[in-house]
Amino acid sequence: MTEQAMVRIEDLHKSFGALEVLKGVDLEVARGEVVVILGPSGSGKSTMLRCVNRLEEPTSGRIFIENDEVTDHKTNINHIRARVGMVFQSFNLFPHLTAKSNVMLALRKVKKISKEEAEQIALEGLARVGLDDKADVYPIMLSGGQQQRVAIARALAMDPHVMLFDEVTSALDPELVREVLDVMKGLAKGGMTMLVVTHEMGFARDVASRAVFMDEGVIQEQGTPEEVFDNPQNERTKDFLGHIR
Amino acid sequence: MEGIIEYLESIKFVHLFMSPTIIWQSLPLLWKGFQAAAALLIVGYLLSLPAGLTAAFMKMSRNPIVRIPATFYIDFIRGTPLLVQILVIYFGFPLLMPGWREFATGPIGQISVAGIDMSQFVRAIAALVINSGAYLAEIFRAGIQSISKGQLEAARSLGMTTMQAMTYVIIPQTVRRILPTMMSEFILLFKDTALFFAVGIFELTLQARTIQARTFNMSPYIGAAGFYLMLTLPLGRLVAYLEAKLAVSETGREPENRQERKRRKAARAKEASA
Repeated sequence: MTEQAMVRIEDLHKSFGALEVLKGVDLEVARGEVVVILGPSGSGKSTMLRCVNRLEEPTSGRIFIENDEVTDHKTNINHIRARVGMVFQSFNLFPHLTAKSNVMLALRKVKKISKEEAEQIALEGLARVGLDDKADVYPIMLSGGQQQRVAIARALAMDPHVMLFDEVTSALDPELVREVLDVMKGLAKGGMTMLVVTHEMGFARDVASRAVFMDEGVIQEQGTPEEVFDNPQNERTKDFLGHIR
Repeated sequence: MEGIIEYLESIKFVHLFMSPTIIWQSLPLLWKGFQAAAALLIVGYLLSLPAGLTAAFMKMSRNPIVRIPATFYIDFIRGTPLLVQILVIYFGFPLLMPGWREFATGPIGQISVAGIDMSQFVRAIAALVINSGAYLAEIFRAGIQSISKGQLEAARSLGMTTMQAMTYVIIPQTVRRILPTMMSEFILLFKDTALFFAVGIFELTLQARTIQARTFNMSPYIGAAGFYLMLTLPLGRLVAYLEAKLAVSETGREPENRQERKRRKAARAKEASA
């Protein structure tokens, strides 16, 4: 028995009505691992990620985070979510709150931390993503890249054990992608366990400990980025990589 | 001054419809009527808010046992005249309530609320809340559903319960967005209080009608209209202002305005202290 996995997904199935999006996914992510998930749109990669913190309800299969079974309805999902950070493609900052208040809200209401302490954590978190000077600014005044960095700070403030990134740079103008990726690289170097759905091959090569290629609702191939990108075995992987180069 | 009034009264149309003398004499009673209407409006509207919110959430429920009654209630109320609802509720209430007669003739029932007996007031409020609750429910529902799904997901992904996500994330954004519509409903409700003249509640319109019947002159109605406008005109302007401001905030310049306002305020404070 090796060290206990951070995330373990067993035979995950998910259907939307008659459409079966996930057809049996198994994946284990060790502590500190950065797993990049690639695949064409509609391959089920985002759905899989959203099942991990049960934003989507799996149709069948089991998911564990550390010792807790996410898919067990007796587990308090809010306790699990508080230590699983998630960042979305569309940022989803709360537009009625300043950057600082966005970060503070869950600290205050979920972790019940005092206002002073929450403010302290929020300011440190914003400094970590290089936005301490924007603490009192509303999201609408920030660029997409800045909004996404605030969203990362908001998730990190909860002190998560694992972070989920769902195509976080896809909605950004090309010149803003790097500032977000840099923050994520810093996180990976710091030892954060990360599941990253992305199309950024450069990022995957630099940072990922493992690349996972999904298509048709299953994992087709996985390995180190070098193995998957430079010497793909699966025909679908070859085809996909050929298209995005 | 007296000459002017005399001249105005000598014009037949002016005398019959906007006689300064009669309007002036009507003012004390119309003022009483205005207070009664305002009391009905404020209490009715405030109680409609939780009623409407409850109905809105019920209508959005996935559980049909919860959703169907709410849908039926909202459709029924919005699809029938308020006057009919008032007649049914006002006269049906006593039939349904055990011990109504004791209550109505007892000390509590006789308490006067802005000139209306409590026994009348509670029935009128029931009618207003049932009516306005349905309209507000639709306003709330449309507002909540206009907030992007990502907002709820972001809140939930941080570990908030659905209740917390609603309270701190969804509802504040909704209220901001629907405030103009909510205020329009407030204005509508104020005008709707006139219908209580039909069940003998001495609000503004019935006061005017009583004087009109005594004087055979329409001027008290015009006086009452003035009282209605006293509230509806400024509020209508406020709605227009809020709508314009909302349009700006949704396109992204509102915080700038706010900062600008803050700067100006700070500058003024500085000036005052200097």
